[in-house]
Amino acid sequence: MSCHRTADIVADYFDARLSPPARLAVQQHVSTCTDCRAEVAALAPAHELLLSWQQQPVPEWDRSHGPAAHQPRQPLVRRRPRPTWGHVGRWLPLAASLVLSVAVLTQTRLDVSAQGWQLSFGTSAAERQLQQLDGYLAEQARVQQQENQQMLEAALQQFGDNTADTLVQMADWFEQQRALDIQRMEAGFQQMLDRDYQTVNSVQQLASYVQYQGDLP
Amino acid sequence: MEPDNELIANALNGSLHAWETLVRRYEGRVYNYSLRLTGNRDDALDLMQDVFLGVYRNLSRFRGESQFISWLFRIAHNKAVDLARRRHANPVKGQALPEDPDAWPESQSSGSQWPGSQTSDSGPQELAMAIESNVAIHRLLQALSPEQRLILELKVFQGMTFDEIAMMQEISANTAKTRFYAALKKLRALMEGHHELSPNR
Ligand SMILES: [Zn+2]
Repeated sequence: MSCHRTADIVADYFDARLSPPARLAVQQHVSTCTDCRAEVAALAPAHELLLSWQQQPVPEWDRSHGPAAHQPRQPLVRRRPRPTWGHVGRWLPLAASLVLSVAVLTQTRLDVSAQGWQLSFGTSAAERQLQQLDGYLAEQARVQQQENQQMLEAALQQFGDNTADTLVQMADWFEQQRALDIQRMEAGFQQMLDRDYQTVNSVQQLASYVQYQGDLP
Repeated sequence: MEPDNELIANALNGSLHAWETLVRRYEGRVYNYSLRLTGNRDDALDLMQDVFLGVYRNLSRFRGESQFISWLFRIAHNKAVDLARRRHANPVKGQALPEDPDAWPESQSSGSQWPGSQTSDSGPQELAMAIESNVAIHRLLQALSPEQRLILELKVFQGMTFDEIAMMQEISANTAKTRFYAALKKLRALMEGHHELSPNR
């Protein structure tokens, strides 16, 4: 094989979307170049075999599966009774960033197998992937800490006096923040699953998501 | 016919009808793609469902800069690789066949690297692809690398241009052509090893 254009020519030759002028040029080349002519002839059966695929009809299936499996969450305040001030502290979005930070620091690993969940700590073979994810998580944690700070400041301003009523309002408000927080983490986790399957083996975020989700009523 | 972008916008606004219209528009392509990869109806349905779930979850991230079909097939490819990896790591019946198609047992015509796709009592008649060429195509594609499978899928079955493929995979059109050429050559070599697939048997 001495023609340096063979890969290009063969690809164009079997290209159903090639423009007519380009097709003419390819056919001209093939008619004069023995290398390319031989290669086209040799590969034609492979291309024909692919074209012989018989399109199969789609069996009936549940097309609403996507929307059904992915309903937006109802705001928590509407789903459960008004929380008492006592355990509002646990719901502080601050907790989320804490979980994230802990996961980063301890390199929490969560492995999913047929046997169920397994949480492990420390480094492992997948360290390279973990480091990538660490960067991402650290950034997430940083952003969240900033947001928490702003939120606390805003909260303190908004609920300046500590009457019982305003405390309950504040509890509601934190509940909403937490619901938003969960939604955001869940969205991030699902995007990782869908778009970045390579990092799923090192699911620190999954670990923190599962822990956080575990707090749900 | 409503354009894809309109259906996507309406689906994002909660219209189930728009979503189902969009799904019906592309499910045939995705199902047959899944069938080529898995070789049987049940796994193909599972994979297709998985793909559309991924599409739905990410729908708000589709910016319309690329064709919807190339965006969809990026997800489909990831799901397929992910599924193959899971199957490989956790084979149901430990029947994963070797990469080398010459080592395929002659008697086992339902051979595939998707161990879940075959049980001891499911013969080739259960492949839901009674058509000989479909079975042959499935088996040959199994022996290619994921990258080679993808380029043939996008070029031959999805009918994308090399420029569209290049944009989708963030490679040059020349690289796409070189990959296509290599994949076709590999396929031809594999056919040589299978006399029953040779055109002049
Ligand atoms: Zn030539």
